[in-house]
Amino acid sequence: MKLRTVRLLSGQAVRSLKKTPSVTSIIVVMACMIVLSSFMLVAVNLTHIGSQFQADVQIRAFLVPDLSPDVADRARAAIQGIPGVASVAFVGKDEALQRLGKQLGQDSFFLGDLPRNPLPESFDISLIRADVADEVAAATSEVDGIHDVRYAPKLVDRLVGVLRILWGITGAIAVLVLVGASLIVSNTIKLTVFARRKEIEIMKLVGATDSFILFPFVLEGIIIGFLGAGAAAAIVYAGYQGVVKWISSVAPFMPVVTDTSRLGVAVVVMLCFGAVVGLIGSNISTKRYLKV
Amino acid sequence: MEWSALVNMYGVYKAYPGNVEALRGVNLNIDKGDFVFIVGPSGSGKSTLLSMIYRGTVPTRGHVLVSGRNIARLRWREVPMLRRRIGVIFQDYKLLLDRSVYENVSFALEVIEASPKEIEKKVPQALSMVGLAHKASAMPGELAGGEQQRVAIARAIVNDPLILVADEPTGNLDPDTALDIMDLLCDINLRGTTVVMATHNQVIVDMMRKRVVQLERGMVVRDERWGAYCYEA
Repeated sequence: MKLRTVRLLSGQAVRSLKKTPSVTSIIVVMACMIVLSSFMLVAVNLTHIGSQFQADVQIRAFLVPDLSPDVADRARAAIQGIPGVASVAFVGKDEALQRLGKQLGQDSFFLGDLPRNPLPESFDISLIRADVADEVAAATSEVDGIHDVRYAPKLVDRLVGVLRILWGITGAIAVLVLVGASLIVSNTIKLTVFARRKEIEIMKLVGATDSFILFPFVLEGIIIGFLGAGAAAAIVYAGYQGVVKWISSVAPFMPVVTDTSRLGVAVVVMLCFGAVVGLIGSNISTKRYLKV
Repeated sequence: MEWSALVNMYGVYKAYPGNVEALRGVNLNIDKGDFVFIVGPSGSGKSTLLSMIYRGTVPTRGHVLVSGRNIARLRWREVPMLRRRIGVIFQDYKLLLDRSVYENVSFALEVIEASPKEIEKKVPQALSMVGLAHKASAMPGELAGGEQQRVAIARAIVNDPLILVADEPTGNLDPDTALDIMDLLCDINLRGTTVVMATHNQVIVDMMRKRVVQLERGMVVRDERWGAYCYEA
């Protein structure tokens, strides 16, 4: 298609946008995209939090009370040799008490009244990957001098399960939005096509190609989808910045996604999704009028 | 059967849904430069026959060749190329009422992506040919019926078609205006364009004495070189 023709047809598409009730479609597409992108952001953040949790999964191996340093060293070396173990750090009784004090915060006052430190010595075992936790824990419990092994496998499993459901819901919403928003766009374009059906008939009779006839309608659909998605992206982006600010003030330890480049990619994905919605919608409404 | 004609129809049947047979075994040749009237009562298959020339429809059985190409075997993207060589006019003119006379005619060139230079050259020529050069900027609603049909003819001939297909072009016009339109179609024919015209207008057919093909119930019942509207003893 020649550049001159593209200009001519683009002008037609823009003129048509002004004539048809396209604002309604843009708002509906925007609403659909806000729902979709909100779910996506929740899913992205939970995935992010999940990956942080998985990276932080640690096994704590408690030593038999009053163990000799030699046996403790041998145990440490044995644990270090278990496949999947990244590092092993010794936590003495005093350090364990200090940690507990930090965790308890203002409620830690009673620790000073204890007659003796009741906490056992332990090893903090970091893993290469979270999914080897079960095997490493089992092997560690067999090591001489180890009294007990603790970790939180269920938390990780639950998180992975929740993420799977959340992404499933997000996927289902994406499909619903794709179908629903496409039909909305399709209905708007149908009004334009209906208003111009005589013109289309003449175009066909004088030898216009299908692509020539389709171009303005498809472009109109893409613009509607693009504008709807763009408005949704702006609203969600601004809203998300507010939420991030709020979370960082009330729960600064929560690892939310603030990476601008990742959010930029999300915006581009939304715009493309909107354009695809418009493309599908306009194709649905124009095909039957081309059979002249 | 002469296969080198501009339009060849051989054993053409057309059935519409509901088993309505519009054409039943039509054999017809139209040569380059012919002027052919297609006559017959309503429902005899005239419009179906004409629409096959510009591939508005395809035969259920049989073959229709236009300029040597079987229209049923054209690929979808080849159909526009065929239509660029065929001008079509209708009883209801099919003009775009929100565009001027000039724009209605230039529209036919714009949609086939003709250059602006070509459009500027050909549109005034076509309007002069139909005698409407002075009304180029008028809107169709400001014109009389005969003038609107002239605009439709200008749009049909602006791309120098091989064939002009006219489906009852005088159906909405008074007798004098209809004769003016026929004069115009004769001029176009004299310049080498084949004209195939469906009509109910007996006066015109009898006066012009051109080739007449008569259809009845989807069959060709008469094909006369210099015919009249009805059988002559």
